[in-house]
Amino acid sequence: MDWRQLWDICSAPDNVPIVGLIPLLIFYIYLAWKQAKANDELIGELETNPAMAKTHHRKSWPFRPGWQKEIHVWPFLLRVEFLAAMIVTIILMVWSITLNAPLEEPANPNLTMNPAKAPWYFLGLQEMLVYFDPWIAGVVMPTLIIVGLMAIPYIDTNPLGSGYYTWKQRKFSIGTFLFGFIVLWIAMIIIGTFIRGPGWQWFWPGQTWDHNRLIYEVNRDLPDLFGITSNLGKAIFGGIVVGGFYAIGGFIMHALFRRYNPKDYKRMSLLQYSIMMFFVLSMVALPAKMLLRLAWHIKYVWITPWFNV
Amino acid sequence: MPPVPEKDPIVSKSYAAYYVIAMMILMVTLFWALWDESFGQRPWKAFQHAWKDRYSAFLNSARSKSSQSEKEVEQDSQYQQLKQAYKDAYETATPRRDELQKQISDLSAKILAVQNVFTDRRAYVNALTYELETETSASGRKSKQQDIDDYKKKKATVEFPDGHRQQYNFQELEEAYNSLKAERTKISAELGEVLKPVTEASNKTSAYVSDHMVDLTPTQIDGLKKKAADWDAQIVQINVPEANIVDRCESCHMNAREPIRVTAALMTPKGEKRPDEYAQAFTSHPEPGLLKTHDPEKFGCSPCHQGNGRATTSVEKAHGNYEHWLWPLFPKQNAEAGCQTCHAADMHLAVGDVGAHISNGKFLFRQRGCMGCHRYEGYDKEPEDLTSIAQQMKLFDQQKIDNSKTAADLMKQADAASSNDEANRLNQEAVALRVANSKIDGRIQQLDFQTHSLMQDMKKIGPNLKDVRLKLNRNWIPAWLKKPTDFRPTTKMPNFRLTEHQIQTMSAYLWQSGFTDALPKQKPGNAEHGKQLFETRGCLACHSVGEGDQMQGGTFAANLSRVGEKANYDYLVRWIHNARERTRPYCPYEKKDIGPEDYAKKGLPYQFDLEHSRCPNDGHELQVQNMTVMPSLRLSEEDAQDIASYLMTEKKEEPSAYAQASYMDDPELKEEGKTWIRHYGCAGCHEISGFEDEGRIGTELTYEGSKPIERLDFALFTNVAERGGKNAEPITDPEDLGRLPEGPAKGPWYDHKGFFEHKLAEPNVYDKGKVKSETEALRMPNLHLSKLEIQDLTTFLMGSEESSLPESYQYKPGDARRDIQEGWWIVRKYNCVGCHQFTPDQSTVLMGMKHYQDAQEQLPPKLLTEGARVDPEWLRKFLSNPALSTTDSNRNGVRPYLQVRMPTFSFSDNELRKLVRFFQALSQQPMPYIPEQVPVLSTKETDMARSLFSSSAAPCLKCHATGDPQHDRIATAPNFLLARERLKPDWAERWILDPQAISPGTSMPSGLFRRENNHWVFAGPTPASFQGYDKDQSRLLVDYIFQLTPEEQRRVAASRGRSQASVQPRNKQKQTGIRASAAGSGGSR
Repeated sequence: MDWRQLWDICSAPDNVPIVGLIPLLIFYIYLAWKQAKANDELIGELETNPAMAKTHHRKSWPFRPGWQKEIHVWPFLLRVEFLAAMIVTIILMVWSITLNAPLEEPANPNLTMNPAKAPWYFLGLQEMLVYFDPWIAGVVMPTLIIVGLMAIPYIDTNPLGSGYYTWKQRKFSIGTFLFGFIVLWIAMIIIGTFIRGPGWQWFWPGQTWDHNRLIYEVNRDLPDLFGITSNLGKAIFGGIVVGGFYAIGGFIMHALFRRYNPKDYKRMSLLQYSIMMFFVLSMVALPAKMLLRLAWHIKYVWITPWFNV
Repeated sequence: MPPVPEKDPIVSKSYAAYYVIAMMILMVTLFWALWDESFGQRPWKAFQHAWKDRYSAFLNSARSKSSQSEKEVEQDSQYQQLKQAYKDAYETATPRRDELQKQISDLSAKILAVQNVFTDRRAYVNALTYELETETSASGRKSKQQDIDDYKKKKATVEFPDGHRQQYNFQELEEAYNSLKAERTKISAELGEVLKPVTEASNKTSAYVSDHMVDLTPTQIDGLKKKAADWDAQIVQINVPEANIVDRCESCHMNAREPIRVTAALMTPKGEKRPDEYAQAFTSHPEPGLLKTHDPEKFGCSPCHQGNGRATTSVEKAHGNYEHWLWPLFPKQNAEAGCQTCHAADMHLAVGDVGAHISNGKFLFRQRGCMGCHRYEGYDKEPEDLTSIAQQMKLFDQQKIDNSKTAADLMKQADAASSNDEANRLNQEAVALRVANSKIDGRIQQLDFQTHSLMQDMKKIGPNLKDVRLKLNRNWIPAWLKKPTDFRPTTKMPNFRLTEHQIQTMSAYLWQSGFTDALPKQKPGNAEHGKQLFETRGCLACHSVGEGDQMQGGTFAANLSRVGEKANYDYLVRWIHNARERTRPYCPYEKKDIGPEDYAKKGLPYQFDLEHSRCPNDGHELQVQNMTVMPSLRLSEEDAQDIASYLMTEKKEEPSAYAQASYMDDPELKEEGKTWIRHYGCAGCHEISGFEDEGRIGTELTYEGSKPIERLDFALFTNVAERGGKNAEPITDPEDLGRLPEGPAKGPWYDHKGFFEHKLAEPNVYDKGKVKSETEALRMPNLHLSKLEIQDLTTFLMGSEESSLPESYQYKPGDARRDIQEGWWIVRKYNCVGCHQFTPDQSTVLMGMKHYQDAQEQLPPKLLTEGARVDPEWLRKFLSNPALSTTDSNRNGVRPYLQVRMPTFSFSDNELRKLVRFFQALSQQPMPYIPEQVPVLSTKETDMARSLFSSSAAPCLKCHATGDPQHDRIATAPNFLLARERLKPDWAERWILDPQAISPGTSMPSGLFRRENNHWVFAGPTPASFQGYDKDQSRLLVDYIFQLTPEEQRRVAASRGRSQASVQPRNKQKQTGIRASAAGSGGSR
């Protein structure tokens, strides 16, 4: 275990935000989970007790006579927000005193740094470059992410769970969010920061980042495994496999969605439903491709003269 | 679900405690930020506070010491006189001065009174005039003019300081003002005149004090004290925009340029034993002389020292000792690396102690053969120059053809031209082209000469291996290749870590590719006489004999202790007689060695030397010399045999004791041997058959110091080097470990210094732990360098940087300084410094030898002022033929009495030119030299001079050679007959007056003349004929010497010789005989 290496990585001014991100993320998920659980219990209680439901207000607490039914922003909201602002100011000041901007030497076009890493918030995208060709990872995927995020309000037909924490009422939305944010975004950043060393090779935490390390790894394309050699054959084969993924995956997803979210399913139009299905399947495709690559050394599935998937 | 509280928590909950805590933390953070802003980020402020205290305290003690020594100076009677003179002048001037000063102050008050009114009115007039000038309508102009005239007529009242008032109009006011001012100027001038003697006397007294005090005067120290006391913390910055230098180093190193010398010990506070960080920062620059030639206002600090001149936030940042600063401060041991960044074109940089390391590093890079494998700009330029000359020649040839064609075409056009003018113009153009062709012919001729020179200048560090069969004991070769240091610990030949098989194949190739020509058989010589010659002729200036503590002589060339085990006697005689003599000439055009058969084909005699250097087959320039720097000592055949015989006795075991190496004749090994020789780049240092055009195998090192650290392959030691710690040192071999200048690494060494030092100490250290095949392993051989040598070479390599400074900062002078620069390359190339002193701080090999301790006059001459001493044309002749004779070469031309011999180096024209210019430039002599006219002496003057020349108080001919062999054997100075052609008269006069100042330790007596009535007169009894002679007598003597004829000298010598003849000893018959013949042919020159 190379503790010094680990410390060098964790203490680099560039990486401190990511080190901080891990506990913060755990804490906020825990907090949200706790509140959602309390709310869900309250919702359960209200559903069984219609009298209480009539008088209940401010969600998390049952009604009490003498309590104000509505409270003002000032001072009750702003005093909390101001306190938060003070704490953030303190944190920022201490941070700026203790950690200087990580300025490096003047760029040398003859010498590429190794490992060459993007800023931490783009490390997820950079990690995707390992699994897809630059056109897909750098252009198509980010576009899909943005379009997908923009589409959420139009395909989310669930009227419940607005303005309060709940799990029971929005299982699918929250589950998809956690999958997309934590698995597809944060986890990739963490891999990019702590795992990827010189030559963008995979180093477990605590393993020395040796610039001379050599590993034997041959990646093959899926069509090659099936002995397909012609370009046309590869394109057709890849198209079938990818199409098959969307078809079979869509079928399974459809069955699951109908079974566990019948209400949502009923509320959605065909357009909304198919857009949602496309994005969900595309999200699942990313870890699927990562698995293919990391576990079975498969480089590309679908090879065409214009793009590779 | 938690129990529901009684009161509404959102409304009733108090945040006071949170607010108080947050507020307190915020305030603390705020103060922290303020502190950080003013001190944390500005540590230099703390330095400056400490500096103020310590420096003031130091100045106080320096002040009291200084005033003490000032008092001592003031005790002096001369000072008292000056002081008295000052007092007198002061008192004389006082009454008049007071009067004048009174007048001036009265006048000034009056002027002020007038001025107040006048300037106000003038301003108004000016404003009106402007309006008039810009007015367009004629009527408006008229009315404005009227306004001005009216205003000027109006009277104004001036109230004078004595109370009276007067009315003036504008013109009167102006006149009054000007006349008052003129009067004041006049009186001020008079005051200056009155005070002049006072100021002069005062200046004289203070100049006397400062001239007679070694340290600063109290007044000067008071100035420094005031500066320190008034100091406010501030960034001290040198900003040179044109070179992009911003150096704030002096914000902490406050004393770097102070005029008073401050050491760390002086800046250490009382009670502390070791100088702390502050004390170390407050020392003066250790070499103020360097700062004089490199003014910090122009050069800053970082161009020499490196480091981050802009950084002020911490010592590490400012010194650049962090990962992302690419030019960290050169460590103390390698501080001279900074010289190399601008002085890459110099070979010699030493001034006193400064520059010894970098100069030695530069020298070692050539001397140890580094340049054989590694290209380095400026080193071993000849082969590159030859290629570029060949290309230029081709271009010129083409240009000539083009020109002739164009000319012919123009002539044709001229014939067909429509007008006479047109025809004339075309004709002229054609003529111009033909002239251009003639100029090109001249250029080509010059390039031809250059080629000849360059072929002559091309040298190899190692011996010519085409001659192995002729010169070596066959069985010795494998033993040598095994580990050269086992045979000769001080050898330049490095250890290549060859395997047994490699050795066998390589030696087989060398043996089978060598010349098989027959050598003339040599008679055995007298070893005892040879030893004597070896020790006295000057061989030891370069070579050494004896091992370990017994070693004696120079390290420039090989140690000859065991040469008898390996050498062939016949070859050795030829080598000693003339090392440049080549077995067969080499033609670089045909790429083959030319033999007698090639000459025979053309019906030419088999003769090749510097005068016959053309290839018989194709007329190209041949390599006719051995590419060695070893000169010819112009020994007779017998002397060479004697020395060789002596050297053959230098052995530890018999040559026959070496194991038989019969495999060297095995033709099967030859081819493989060739690949290994190529692999190891042997041809970088040796001439080897089949490898004449071999390139360098190593990486170029010109900019090695600025190579990114990532490009230096620390291999498996990257992490270890970065982190230091217990196992930081990769070298385990105790011998190699002992080479590291600062001992085994303890801390991190992941930098250029660490890489170079480890690489030089154990060149294959970065192969450690790696699995590599024979051909992949690192090839650099172990050069068995000493600690000091590694330190010097590391310094050299660290400084080998691509400088970010503008080109003008590179030391590439265009004037005489360039001649000095170029000259040193030649001086070090041939090891002239082994015998001669060029600067007073440099010592020669011979000076240090026991043999010369009691015989200083037997040392080769010092060349401290050689350029001022000799006529450059004579110097050129002397350097190309130090015997100064074509018939009798077995002697020294100028100093026949010296046993040590000025050798014939066969300098090329190029090198001769450079050397002559070098000496002239070194003594600030202009080129070309225009000889000073020596006046022709009248008979009377000649008689007078002769009486000085032969005076018994200064018997010149007692020591100076005369050409008389009897006398010359005991002579210890050159013949006067040489003077006219050799010396510069002005130098000769300086020499006669004070020889010790020109050549310390010379046996020429000082004080021959003394100063009397502003003239130099003879210090001995003046002959009667000098009565009334009022010119410099020394000058007369010099003029006489410059007109001395052999007959005159013989006459004087004869008159002297009669009384001396009986004491002259008689021996060394052989040499005497030679000199007798020289003297017979009219004096030696």
